[in-house]
Amino acid sequence: MTDQERDRLCVERMRAGDTRALEELYDRHNGLLYSVVLRIVSVPGGAEEVLQEAWLQIWRGAATYNAARGTVGAWLVTVARNRGMDRIRSEGPGAERAARVDAPHPTEDASANAAHRQMSERVGRALEKLGPQHRQVVELAYFGGLTQGEIAERLNTPPATVKSWTRQALLRLSELVPQEEWT
Amino acid sequence: MSPHKDEHLDLCPGYVLGNLAEDERGMLEAHLQEGCAVCEVEINRLGRGAWAFAAATPRLLEPSSIRAHVLDTLRRESGQGEGRAGSRAPFPLRQVVRALGWMAAAAAVVFAVFAHTEWRLAGRLSRDLAGSRENVSRLSQEIQSAREWAALATSPQTRVVDLKPTPSGPPQLHARVTYDPATRRAIVSVTDFVTPAGKDYQLWAFTKSGSASLGLVRADSSGRALIQLSNAGDPFTLSAFAVSLENAGGAAAGAAPASPLVMIGRI
Repeated sequence: MTDQERDRLCVERMRAGDTRALEELYDRHNGLLYSVVLRIVSVPGGAEEVLQEAWLQIWRGAATYNAARGTVGAWLVTVARNRGMDRIRSEGPGAERAARVDAPHPTEDASANAAHRQMSERVGRALEKLGPQHRQVVELAYFGGLTQGEIAERLNTPPATVKSWTRQALLRLSELVPQEEWT
Repeated sequence: MSPHKDEHLDLCPGYVLGNLAEDERGMLEAHLQEGCAVCEVEINRLGRGAWAFAAATPRLLEPSSIRAHVLDTLRRESGQGEGRAGSRAPFPLRQVVRALGWMAAAAAVVFAVFAHTEWRLAGRLSRDLAGSRENVSRLSQEIQSAREWAALATSPQTRVVDLKPTPSGPPQLHARVTYDPATRRAIVSVTDFVTPAGKDYQLWAFTKSGSASLGLVRADSSGRALIQLSNAGDPFTLSAFAVSLENAGGAAAGAAPASPLVMIGRI
Protein backbone atom coordinates (compact mmCIF):
# COMPACT_ATOMS: atom_id res chain seq x y z
CA MET A 1 0.00 0.00 0.00
CA THR A 2 1.42 3.41 -0.97
CA ASP A 3 1.51 6.44 1.35
CA GLN A 4 -1.29 8.04 -0.67
CA GLU A 5 -3.46 4.93 -0.29
CA ARG A 6 -2.76 4.84 3.44
CA ASP A 7 -3.73 8.52 3.71
CA ARG A 8 -6.98 8.01 1.79
CA LEU A 9 -7.84 5.05 4.04
CA CYS A 10 -7.27 7.28 7.07
CA VAL A 11 -9.71 9.85 5.68
CA GLU A 12 -12.30 7.09 5.22
CA ARG A 13 -11.75 5.97 8.81
CA MET A 14 -12.08 9.56 10.03
CA ARG A 15 -15.41 9.78 8.26
CA ALA A 16 -16.43 6.73 10.33
CA GLY A 17 -15.38 8.53 13.53
CA ASP A 18 -12.02 6.82 14.13
CA THR A 19 -9.74 9.32 15.93
CA ARG A 20 -6.75 6.97 15.61
CA ALA A 21 -6.87 7.58 11.87
CA LEU A 22 -6.40 11.27 12.51
CA GLU A 23 -3.47 10.51 14.80
CA GLU A 24 -1.86 8.57 11.96
CA LEU A 25 -2.32 11.47 9.57
CA TYR A 26 -1.03 13.85 12.21
CA ASP A 27 2.17 11.85 12.71
CA ARG A 28 2.81 11.61 8.97
CA HIS A 29 2.03 15.21 8.01
CA ASN A 30 2.16 17.58 10.96
CA GLY A 31 5.88 18.26 10.53
CA LEU A 32 5.19 19.90 7.18
CA LEU A 33 2.00 21.59 8.37
CA TYR A 34 3.85 23.10 11.33
CA SER A 35 6.68 24.35 9.12
CA VAL A 36 4.27 25.97 6.64
CA VAL A 37 2.11 27.55 9.34
CA LEU A 38 5.10 28.85 11.31
CA ARG A 39 6.51 30.45 8.13
CA ILE A 40 3.16 32.23 7.79
CA VAL A 41 2.42 33.34 11.34
CA SER A 42 6.08 33.64 12.53
CA VAL A 43 5.22 33.02 16.20
CA PRO A 44 5.43 29.43 17.61
CA GLY A 45 2.50 30.02 19.99
CA GLY A 46 0.38 31.32 17.12
CA ALA A 47 1.36 28.35 14.96
CA GLU A 48 0.18 25.95 17.68
CA GLU A 49 -3.21 27.68 17.88
CA VAL A 50 -3.59 27.70 14.11
CA LEU A 51 -2.68 24.02 13.91
CA GLN A 52 -5.21 23.15 16.59
CA GLU A 53 -7.92 24.94 14.58
CA ALA A 54 -6.72 23.35 11.35
CA TRP A 55 -6.78 19.77 12.66
CA LEU A 56 -10.24 20.35 14.11
CA GLN A 57 -11.38 21.56 10.71
CA ILE A 58 -9.76 18.51 9.09
CA TRP A 59 -11.55 16.21 11.54
CA ARG A 60 -14.93 17.85 11.01
CA GLY A 61 -14.47 18.23 7.27
CA ALA A 62 -13.15 14.78 6.35
CA ALA A 63 -16.19 14.30 4.11
CA THR A 64 -15.20 17.32 2.02
CA TYR A 65 -11.92 15.82 0.83
CA ASN A 66 -12.05 15.19 -2.93
CA ALA A 67 -9.39 12.80 -4.22
CA ALA A 68 -9.76 14.11 -7.78
CA ARG A 69 -8.36 17.48 -6.66
CA GLY A 70 -5.10 16.18 -5.20
CA THR A 71 -3.50 14.10 -2.49
CA VAL A 72 -4.59 14.00 1.14
CA GLY A 73 -1.25 15.62 2.05
CA ALA A 74 -1.97 18.56 -0.27
CA TRP A 75 -5.44 18.93 1.19
CA LEU A 76 -4.07 19.00 4.76
CA VAL A 77 -1.50 21.65 3.87
CA THR A 78 -4.16 23.73 2.12
CA VAL A 79 -6.43 23.65 5.18
CA ALA A 80 -3.56 24.58 7.52
CA ARG A 81 -2.28 27.33 5.23
CA ASN A 82 -5.75 28.84 4.87
CA ARG A 83 -6.14 28.94 8.65
CA GLY A 84 -2.74 30.61 8.89
CA MET A 85 -3.79 33.14 6.24
CA ASP A 86 -7.00 33.91 8.14
CA ARG A 87 -4.87 34.59 11.22
CA ILE A 88 -2.38 36.98 9.63
CA ARG A 89 -4.96 38.78 7.49
CA SER A 90 -6.82 39.62 10.67
CA GLU A 91 -3.61 40.95 12.23
CA GLY A 92 -2.15 43.40 9.78
CA PRO A 93 -1.84 44.88 6.28
CA GLY A 94 0.09 43.39 3.38
CA ALA A 95 3.32 45.28 4.08
CA GLU A 96 3.60 43.69 7.52
CA ARG A 97 2.91 40.25 6.09
CA ALA A 98 5.60 40.73 3.45
CA ALA A 99 8.07 41.61 6.22
CA ARG A 100 7.32 38.29 7.91
CA VAL A 101 8.17 36.40 4.69
CA ASP A 102 11.54 38.16 4.63
CA ALA A 103 12.27 37.40 8.29
CA PRO A 104 14.99 34.82 9.09
CA HIS A 105 13.68 31.30 9.44
CA PRO A 106 13.61 29.61 12.86
CA THR A 107 15.81 26.59 13.53
CA GLU A 108 15.49 23.95 10.86
CA ASP A 109 14.89 20.33 11.77
CA ALA A 110 18.12 18.50 10.95
CA SER A 111 16.30 15.16 11.04
CA ALA A 112 14.14 16.02 8.01
CA ASN A 113 14.24 12.96 5.78
CA ALA A 114 16.18 12.51 2.57
CA ALA A 115 13.05 12.60 0.38
CA HIS A 116 12.16 16.01 1.74
CA ARG A 117 15.69 17.35 1.26
CA GLN A 118 15.68 16.10 -2.34
CA MET A 119 12.33 17.80 -2.99
CA SER A 120 13.65 21.05 -1.50
CA GLU A 121 16.71 20.90 -3.73
CA ARG A 122 14.64 20.14 -6.85
CA VAL A 123 12.26 23.01 -6.13
CA GLY A 124 15.20 25.33 -5.46
CA ARG A 125 16.88 24.37 -8.75
CA ALA A 126 13.64 24.70 -10.70
CA LEU A 127 13.06 28.22 -9.37
CA GLU A 128 16.68 29.23 -9.88
CA LYS A 129 16.36 28.44 -13.57
CA LEU A 130 13.39 30.79 -13.80
CA GLY A 131 14.87 33.66 -11.81
CA PRO A 132 14.63 35.17 -8.31
CA GLN A 133 11.47 37.14 -9.12
CA HIS A 134 9.55 33.91 -9.72
CA ARG A 135 10.43 32.59 -6.28
CA GLN A 136 9.59 35.95 -4.75
CA VAL A 137 6.08 36.20 -6.22
CA VAL A 138 5.20 32.67 -5.09
CA GLU A 139 6.67 33.21 -1.61
CA LEU A 140 4.87 36.51 -1.12
CA ALA A 141 1.60 34.92 -2.18
CA TYR A 142 2.01 31.58 -0.45
CA PHE A 143 3.54 32.64 2.86
CA GLY A 144 2.66 36.35 2.96
CA GLY A 145 -0.91 36.11 1.67
CA LEU A 146 -0.35 39.18 -0.50
CA THR A 147 -2.81 39.77 -3.32
CA GLN A 148 -1.45 40.03 -6.84
CA GLY A 149 -2.06 43.77 -6.69
CA GLU A 150 -0.07 44.08 -3.46
CA ILE A 151 2.78 42.03 -4.93
CA ALA A 152 2.83 44.19 -8.07
CA GLU A 153 3.00 47.33 -5.94
CA ARG A 154 5.72 45.93 -3.71
CA LEU A 155 7.88 44.80 -6.65
CA ASN A 156 7.02 47.91 -8.69
CA THR A 157 5.92 45.63 -11.53
CA PRO A 158 2.76 45.54 -13.66
CA PRO A 159 0.10 43.12 -12.29
CA ALA A 160 0.09 41.23 -15.59
CA THR A 161 3.78 40.48 -15.14
CA VAL A 162 3.15 39.19 -11.61
CA LYS A 163 0.45 36.86 -12.97
CA SER A 164 2.77 35.67 -15.70
CA TRP A 165 5.68 34.98 -13.30
CA THR A 166 3.37 33.15 -10.90
CA ARG A 167 2.02 30.93 -13.65
CA GLN A 168 5.48 30.16 -15.04
CA ALA A 169 6.75 29.24 -11.57
CA LEU A 170 3.83 26.97 -10.72
CA LEU A 171 3.96 25.23 -14.09
CA ARG A 172 7.68 24.57 -13.69
CA LEU A 173 7.11 23.24 -10.18
CA SER A 174 4.20 21.05 -11.31
CA GLU A 175 6.67 19.10 -13.45
CA LEU A 176 8.31 17.91 -10.20
CA VAL A 177 5.13 16.11 -9.11
CA PRO A 178 4.12 13.27 -11.47
CA GLN A 179 0.37 13.07 -12.11
CA GLU A 180 0.25 9.52 -10.70
CA GLU A 181 1.55 10.83 -7.35
CA TRP A 182 -1.06 13.58 -7.32
CA THR A 183 -4.30 11.58 -7.22
CA MET B 1 -22.21 28.12 -20.12
CA SER B 2 -19.93 31.20 -20.39
CA PRO B 3 -17.35 30.70 -23.17
CA HIS B 4 -13.79 30.03 -22.11
CA LYS B 5 -11.46 33.02 -22.54
CA ASP B 6 -7.72 33.45 -22.05
CA GLU B 7 -8.41 35.81 -19.17
CA HIS B 8 -9.86 32.86 -17.25
CA LEU B 9 -6.52 31.08 -17.57
CA ASP B 10 -4.74 34.23 -16.36
CA LEU B 11 -6.73 34.00 -13.13
CA CYS B 12 -5.95 30.34 -12.42
CA PRO B 13 -2.53 30.87 -10.70
CA GLY B 14 -3.99 33.41 -8.29
CA TYR B 15 -6.95 31.13 -7.66
CA VAL B 16 -4.62 28.26 -6.72
CA LEU B 17 -2.62 30.52 -4.38
CA GLY B 18 -5.77 32.17 -3.00
CA ASN B 19 -4.62 35.71 -3.76
CA LEU B 20 -7.10 36.92 -6.36
CA ALA B 21 -9.14 40.05 -5.78
CA GLU B 22 -12.73 39.29 -4.73
CA ASP B 23 -14.29 40.18 -8.09
CA GLU B 24 -11.72 38.11 -10.00
CA ARG B 25 -12.26 35.10 -7.76
CA GLY B 26 -16.04 35.41 -8.14
CA MET B 27 -15.76 35.56 -11.92
CA LEU B 28 -13.52 32.47 -12.14
CA GLU B 29 -15.62 30.46 -9.68
CA ALA B 30 -18.79 31.22 -11.66
CA HIS B 31 -17.01 30.07 -14.81
CA LEU B 32 -15.77 26.88 -13.11
CA GLN B 33 -19.21 26.04 -11.75
CA GLU B 34 -20.52 25.99 -15.27
CA GLY B 35 -17.91 23.34 -16.08
CA CYS B 36 -14.78 24.32 -18.00
CA ALA B 37 -12.43 21.41 -18.70
CA VAL B 38 -9.61 23.72 -19.83
CA CYS B 39 -9.56 25.66 -16.56
CA GLU B 40 -10.04 22.49 -14.48
CA VAL B 41 -6.96 20.96 -16.09
CA GLU B 42 -4.99 24.20 -15.60
CA ILE B 43 -5.97 24.43 -11.92
CA ASN B 44 -5.11 20.78 -11.34
CA ARG B 45 -1.70 21.34 -12.92
CA LEU B 46 -0.96 24.57 -11.06
CA GLY B 47 -2.16 22.93 -7.83
CA ARG B 48 0.57 20.33 -8.27
CA GLY B 49 3.08 23.17 -8.52
CA ALA B 50 1.79 24.83 -5.35
CA TRP B 51 2.00 21.46 -3.58
CA ALA B 52 5.63 21.02 -4.67
CA PHE B 53 6.43 24.50 -3.35
CA ALA B 54 4.76 23.73 0.00
CA ALA B 55 6.36 20.29 0.27
CA ALA B 56 9.80 21.86 -0.09
CA THR B 57 9.29 24.21 2.87
CA PRO B 58 12.31 23.90 5.20
CA ARG B 59 11.26 21.65 8.09
CA LEU B 60 11.27 23.49 11.42
CA LEU B 61 11.63 21.93 14.83
CA GLU B 62 8.17 21.27 16.21
CA PRO B 63 7.66 21.49 20.00
CA SER B 64 6.61 18.05 21.27
CA SER B 65 3.81 19.59 23.35
CA ILE B 66 1.76 20.45 20.27
CA ARG B 67 0.84 16.84 19.54
CA ALA B 68 -0.69 16.28 22.97
CA HIS B 69 -2.60 19.57 22.89
CA VAL B 70 -4.02 19.01 19.43
CA LEU B 71 -5.00 15.39 20.02
CA ASP B 72 -6.54 16.11 23.44
CA THR B 73 -8.70 18.80 21.86
CA LEU B 74 -9.77 16.40 19.15
CA ARG B 75 -10.62 13.66 21.64
CA ARG B 76 -12.76 16.10 23.60
CA GLU B 77 -14.39 17.15 20.35
CA SER B 78 -15.21 13.54 19.46
CA GLY B 79 -16.36 12.71 23.00
CA GLN B 80 -13.71 10.05 23.62
CA GLY B 81 -11.96 11.95 26.41
CA GLU B 82 -15.05 12.08 28.62
CA GLY B 83 -15.39 8.28 28.64
CA ARG B 84 -11.92 7.79 30.02
CA ALA B 85 -12.33 10.48 32.66
CA GLY B 86 -15.55 8.84 33.89
CA SER B 87 -13.87 5.49 34.48
CA ARG B 88 -11.41 7.01 36.98
CA ALA B 89 -13.97 7.75 39.75
CA PRO B 90 -13.75 5.16 42.57
CA PHE B 91 -15.37 7.27 45.29
CA PRO B 92 -19.01 6.10 45.04
CA LEU B 93 -17.96 2.47 45.57
CA ARG B 94 -15.91 3.40 48.65
CA GLN B 95 -18.85 5.23 50.19
CA VAL B 96 -21.12 2.25 49.61
CA VAL B 97 -18.62 -0.09 51.31
CA ARG B 98 -18.35 2.14 54.36
CA ALA B 99 -22.10 2.47 54.63
CA LEU B 100 -23.16 -1.12 54.24
CA GLY B 101 -20.26 -2.96 55.92
CA TRP B 102 -18.94 -6.43 55.16
CA MET B 103 -22.01 -7.72 53.33
CA ALA B 104 -21.94 -4.86 50.94
CA ALA B 105 -18.18 -5.38 50.51
CA ALA B 106 -18.80 -9.00 49.56
CA ALA B 107 -21.46 -7.85 47.12
CA ALA B 108 -18.94 -5.40 45.73
CA VAL B 109 -16.43 -8.23 45.22
CA VAL B 110 -19.08 -10.23 43.36
CA PHE B 111 -19.89 -7.15 41.37
CA ALA B 112 -16.19 -6.58 40.59
CA VAL B 113 -15.82 -10.14 39.28
CA PHE B 114 -18.94 -9.67 37.20
CA ALA B 115 -17.73 -6.30 35.97
CA HIS B 116 -14.32 -7.78 35.11
CA THR B 117 -16.00 -10.50 33.05
CA GLU B 118 -18.16 -7.92 31.36
CA TRP B 119 -15.11 -5.73 30.78
CA ARG B 120 -13.28 -8.60 29.06
CA LEU B 121 -16.34 -9.30 26.95
CA ALA B 122 -16.60 -5.62 26.09
CA GLY B 123 -12.92 -5.61 25.14
CA ARG B 124 -13.44 -8.56 22.79
CA LEU B 125 -16.50 -6.90 21.26
CA SER B 126 -14.55 -3.67 20.93
CA ARG B 127 -11.79 -5.46 19.02
CA ASP B 128 -14.39 -7.14 16.80
CA LEU B 129 -15.94 -3.75 16.20
CA ALA B 130 -12.57 -2.25 15.30
CA GLY B 131 -12.02 -5.09 12.82
CA SER B 132 -15.46 -4.50 11.32
CA ARG B 133 -14.73 -0.79 11.04
CA GLU B 134 -11.54 -1.53 9.14
CA ASN B 135 -13.50 -3.78 6.78
CA VAL B 136 -16.08 -1.04 6.29
CA SER B 137 -13.30 1.48 5.63
CA ARG B 138 -11.71 -0.82 3.08
CA LEU B 139 -15.04 -1.45 1.35
CA SER B 140 -15.83 2.27 1.41
CA GLN B 141 -12.54 2.94 -0.28
CA GLU B 142 -13.27 0.34 -2.94
CA ILE B 143 -16.71 1.88 -3.50
CA GLN B 144 -15.13 5.33 -3.71
CA SER B 145 -12.65 4.05 -6.28
CA ALA B 146 -15.46 2.43 -8.30
CA ARG B 147 -17.42 5.70 -8.13
CA GLU B 148 -14.41 7.65 -9.38
CA TRP B 149 -14.08 5.33 -12.37
CA ALA B 150 -17.84 5.47 -13.00
CA ALA B 151 -17.70 9.29 -12.81
CA LEU B 152 -15.34 9.21 -15.77
CA ALA B 153 -18.27 8.17 -17.99
CA THR B 154 -20.46 11.07 -16.86
CA SER B 155 -17.88 13.85 -16.47
CA PRO B 156 -18.65 16.83 -18.75
CA GLN B 157 -15.05 17.09 -19.93
CA THR B 158 -14.72 13.38 -20.81
CA ARG B 159 -13.68 12.68 -24.41
CA VAL B 160 -14.80 9.54 -26.26
CA VAL B 161 -12.42 8.34 -28.96
CA ASP B 162 -13.57 5.57 -31.32
CA LEU B 163 -10.63 3.82 -32.90
CA LYS B 164 -11.03 2.81 -36.58
CA PRO B 165 -9.26 -0.10 -38.31
CA THR B 166 -6.39 1.02 -40.55
CA PRO B 167 -6.08 -0.43 -44.09
CA SER B 168 -3.76 -3.11 -42.65
CA GLY B 169 -6.04 -3.90 -39.68
CA PRO B 170 -8.80 -6.55 -39.51
CA PRO B 171 -12.10 -4.68 -40.23
CA GLN B 172 -14.05 -6.44 -37.47
CA LEU B 173 -12.01 -4.83 -34.63
CA HIS B 174 -13.86 -2.40 -32.35
CA ALA B 175 -12.22 -0.24 -29.69
CA ARG B 176 -13.29 2.84 -27.75
CA VAL B 177 -11.26 5.01 -25.34
CA THR B 178 -13.15 7.12 -22.79
CA TYR B 179 -10.66 9.71 -21.54
CA ASP B 180 -10.90 12.39 -18.84
CA PRO B 181 -8.30 15.14 -19.45
CA ALA B 182 -8.68 16.49 -15.91
CA THR B 183 -7.60 13.27 -14.19
CA ARG B 184 -5.86 11.65 -17.19
CA ARG B 185 -7.80 8.49 -16.46
CA ALA B 186 -9.15 6.40 -19.30
CA ILE B 187 -11.26 3.29 -19.83
CA VAL B 188 -10.60 1.24 -22.94
CA SER B 189 -13.24 -1.20 -24.15
CA VAL B 190 -12.61 -3.57 -27.05
CA THR B 191 -14.69 -6.22 -28.83
CA ASP B 192 -13.87 -8.83 -31.47
CA PHE B 193 -10.21 -8.75 -30.56
CA VAL B 194 -9.22 -12.28 -31.57
CA THR B 195 -5.47 -12.47 -31.10
CA PRO B 196 -3.57 -14.55 -33.67
CA ALA B 197 -1.20 -17.20 -32.26
CA GLY B 198 2.20 -15.80 -31.31
CA LYS B 199 0.92 -12.22 -31.39
CA ASP B 200 -0.36 -9.56 -28.96
CA TYR B 201 -2.37 -6.41 -29.49
CA GLN B 202 -0.64 -3.38 -27.93
CA LEU B 203 -2.27 -0.04 -27.05
CA TRP B 204 -0.42 3.24 -27.71
CA ALA B 205 -0.78 6.92 -26.87
CA PHE B 206 0.60 9.30 -29.49
CA THR B 207 1.80 12.77 -28.53
CA LYS B 208 3.35 15.63 -30.44
CA SER B 209 6.78 14.32 -29.52
CA GLY B 210 6.33 10.57 -30.00
CA SER B 211 4.47 7.58 -28.63
CA ALA B 212 4.14 5.69 -25.36
CA SER B 213 2.90 2.16 -24.72
CA LEU B 214 -0.28 1.89 -22.63
CA GLY B 215 0.11 -1.90 -22.31
CA LEU B 216 -1.05 -5.07 -24.01
CA VAL B 217 -4.71 -5.74 -24.79
CA ARG B 218 -5.53 -9.20 -23.50
CA ALA B 219 -9.10 -10.00 -24.56
CA ASP B 220 -11.14 -12.91 -23.17
CA SER B 221 -12.26 -15.88 -25.22
CA SER B 222 -15.14 -13.84 -26.67
CA GLY B 223 -12.71 -11.13 -27.84
CA ARG B 224 -13.76 -8.59 -25.21
CA ALA B 225 -11.62 -6.60 -22.76
CA LEU B 226 -12.13 -3.63 -20.45
CA ILE B 227 -8.95 -1.84 -19.38
CA GLN B 228 -8.60 0.93 -16.77
CA LEU B 229 -5.70 3.34 -17.27
CA SER B 230 -4.82 5.60 -14.37
CA ASN B 231 -2.67 7.83 -16.62
CA ALA B 232 -3.35 7.78 -20.36
CA GLY B 233 -1.23 10.85 -21.05
CA ASP B 234 -0.89 14.62 -20.85
CA PRO B 235 -4.00 16.30 -22.35
CA PHE B 236 -1.85 19.17 -23.63
CA THR B 237 0.24 16.90 -25.86
CA LEU B 238 -1.93 13.82 -26.46
CA SER B 239 -3.07 13.58 -30.10
CA ALA B 240 -4.26 9.98 -30.73
CA PHE B 241 -4.72 6.48 -29.38
CA ALA B 242 -3.75 3.48 -31.51
CA VAL B 243 -3.39 -0.31 -31.49
CA SER B 244 -0.65 -2.34 -33.13
CA LEU B 245 -0.37 -6.10 -33.62
CA GLU B 246 3.01 -7.05 -32.20
CA ASN B 247 4.89 -10.28 -31.66
CA ALA B 248 3.91 -11.96 -28.37
CA GLY B 249 4.98 -9.82 -25.41
CA GLY B 250 4.68 -6.51 -27.26
CA ALA B 251 7.17 -4.19 -28.97
CA ALA B 252 10.65 -4.86 -27.66
CA ALA B 253 11.66 -1.24 -27.26
CA GLY B 254 8.39 -0.27 -25.59
CA ALA B 255 8.60 3.32 -26.80
CA ALA B 256 7.24 2.88 -30.32
CA PRO B 257 5.29 0.25 -32.27
CA ALA B 258 7.51 -2.33 -33.97
CA SER B 259 4.68 -3.48 -36.28
CA PRO B 260 2.06 -1.64 -38.33
CA LEU B 261 -0.88 -0.01 -36.57
CA VAL B 262 -4.17 -1.88 -36.93
CA MET B 263 -6.40 0.76 -35.34
CA ILE B 264 -6.16 4.50 -34.67
CA GLY B 265 -8.39 7.21 -33.25
CA ARG B 266 -7.44 10.88 -33.16
CA ILE B 267 -8.44 13.09 -30.23
